[in-house]
Amino acid sequence: MSFKINAVLAALLVGCALSLVNAQYQARHLFISLERAQRQARQLDVDWAQLQLDQSTLGKHGRIEEIARRDLNMTPLTANRTQYLTEGEQ
Amino acid sequence: MMRSGGANSARVARSKGVQFSKSPMLAVSLPPWRSRVVLFVLFAAFAALAIRAVWLQGLSTQFLQDQGELRYGRTLELPATRGNIRDRDNQVLASSAEVRGVWGVPNELLKEPADKLRALAALLDMPEAELRGKLETKQAQVDAKRKPDDKDKDKDKQVLLYLKRQVEMDVAHKITALKLDGIEMRKEYKRYYPQGGVVSHVIGFNDLEDVGQEGMEKAQESWLKGKPGSRRVIVDRLGHIVEDAGTITEPHEGKDLILSLDSKIQYIAFSQVKNAVEKFKAKAGAAIVLDVHTGEVLALANYPTFEPKEARTLRGADREVLRNHVITDTFEPGSTLKPFTVALGMDTGRYKPSTLIDTGSGRYTILDRTISDTKGHGVINVQQIIEMSSNIGTSKIALSMPAQEMWELFTKVGFGQQPKWGFPGAQAGRVRPYKSWRPIEQATMSYGNGISVSLIQLARAYLIFARDGDIIPLSFQKVSAPPVGTQVIKPQTARQMREMLETVVSGKDGTAKQAQIAGYRAGGKTGTAYKVVNGRYAIPRKYIGSFAGMVPMSNPRFVIAVMIDEPTQGGHYGGQVAAPTFAAVAANALRSKNVPPDSTVTEIVVPSDSGPEAM
Repeated sequence: MSFKINAVLAALLVGCALSLVNAQYQARHLFISLERAQRQARQLDVDWAQLQLDQSTLGKHGRIEEIARRDLNMTPLTANRTQYLTEGEQ
Repeated sequence: MMRSGGANSARVARSKGVQFSKSPMLAVSLPPWRSRVVLFVLFAAFAALAIRAVWLQGLSTQFLQDQGELRYGRTLELPATRGNIRDRDNQVLASSAEVRGVWGVPNELLKEPADKLRALAALLDMPEAELRGKLETKQAQVDAKRKPDDKDKDKDKQVLLYLKRQVEMDVAHKITALKLDGIEMRKEYKRYYPQGGVVSHVIGFNDLEDVGQEGMEKAQESWLKGKPGSRRVIVDRLGHIVEDAGTITEPHEGKDLILSLDSKIQYIAFSQVKNAVEKFKAKAGAAIVLDVHTGEVLALANYPTFEPKEARTLRGADREVLRNHVITDTFEPGSTLKPFTVALGMDTGRYKPSTLIDTGSGRYTILDRTISDTKGHGVINVQQIIEMSSNIGTSKIALSMPAQEMWELFTKVGFGQQPKWGFPGAQAGRVRPYKSWRPIEQATMSYGNGISVSLIQLARAYLIFARDGDIIPLSFQKVSAPPVGTQVIKPQTARQMREMLETVVSGKDGTAKQAQIAGYRAGGKTGTAYKVVNGRYAIPRKYIGSFAGMVPMSNPRFVIAVMIDEPTQGGHYGGQVAAPTFAAVAANALRSKNVPPDSTVTEIVVPSDSGPEAM
């Protein structure tokens, strides 16, 4: 009788030990992917900041005006060349 | 009787008295204490082990744990970047990015092969000779400091020399790829200012440690600054993070600062001020655009300007460009102050726009001092006093009122008051206590002499005319709800004053015809002041031409104030130098904000010579 109990307990113990090993392994794995995802998130943050910076740099009004004048031969709008439309007016 | 038997007893095991052998030949005669000694030594050894174990496990745990930690524990810094500064449309005006400071250990680097050092010098953007020179000088210093008998060569490792700070990441990666001994990288942050000199006076700049030195960067330092956190981790042999250990201190990212600035209007104001300064060969120029409804500063431009990234390196007289003329310079505003005196006269019921005042032949003597107009205007009404900017008319109005009332109005609109808009270096200006005013001073003050204000104070004060007589606090940050105003003059007075200010621009005798804008009604007041140098008016005369006004008059949206400091060619009156700048800024700002035109005039023809005008 006592031998049977011992055998069952031993099997349980081995089972538990193995599942502990497995759980630890899974935990490490998940932890590593979490780390990776967090690193990626940080990198994306950096990229986002950089892109916003680029947007502001490239969208600088001085630059737009220069390109409009030089490359596109545009001139500033004046009031006497503007037709104003009023809604509902015939 | 065994004990007395002597020889026999030796063959008996001491403990149990069992005889091993009956043969006397095998009787070994060892002294009985020897086995006891062995026994004792064995137990003592076990006891020593036990004590040692207790000692290590229970008592002196700290040292071992520390050593263990050193081998597998790491504290990682969780970075917190400084907040961005954005304009009201969320466009980035200042942003921090991670960079590296490159440090070197001189004697290790000097041992590296020459071609690697050359590559390093190229990446650091300095001649190889300079790099070598730097390293050798530092090494020589170190050698000189060390005592001759000091053999501790390891100390060399402590000597670090910074080679270049704020190296961008891609360059830093290339330097790492060189695999040089004695190179150390430290994390730093670099501030980028995409708009450059256009907004630099508002935003300011940071030092190498990314701490604000000027402008909003300085004023909002605690808001923008991030607080780095840290976490404890366990790493494996290769440095990979295995798991978290212990507590995590969360980093606090610096918060973003949303300014009230509108990048587009800011650019317009900046480029127009720049044009004016170049055209009139002026020393400096400045402009400010306020939102009438919210009190937000939509644009604040200064010229000459500076590039924020170069600001740190400016020395001596070059630092003059850092000056924010709008906020930190006070000047005698001249005639731009006349509307306040006249408004006070109307607000107290003493005058109406149509009240006639005799300004005589253009000269008016108060006790021993004479005030003059550009020419004799004769008998004109109050409205014409503003339109033609008559010093005598304003003085007469001022002298008919108690000094205290004038002083109170000036104080209420903020002149002479320490500004509270949270901008470093803001000046209060100077309004002397009314009790010490002499009549001549009260008269000159009515047209803006003997009193000093900053351009931003002047613009803010004009809000009482643009709004219906109340004044609101200014804000450099975007406001969500309209602020509560304090009534200074009656709405009726403000409306009458608006009409008068419009005649200054569009009237037959107006002094600011060049402030006209095609398609919109504009109003404002010119001012020309002599510059005060060392407490007296500069000889030869130096001028400050200014203009403060508002558009569109049908429902004012912007208050714009312009100042041109020491114009030297093409005129020096406010109406000549500052009014056209006002018109250009206003026209573009209105167009960019899609404000519908309120005038049918589309062609502006300004007489080329509008003649002299009063101060």
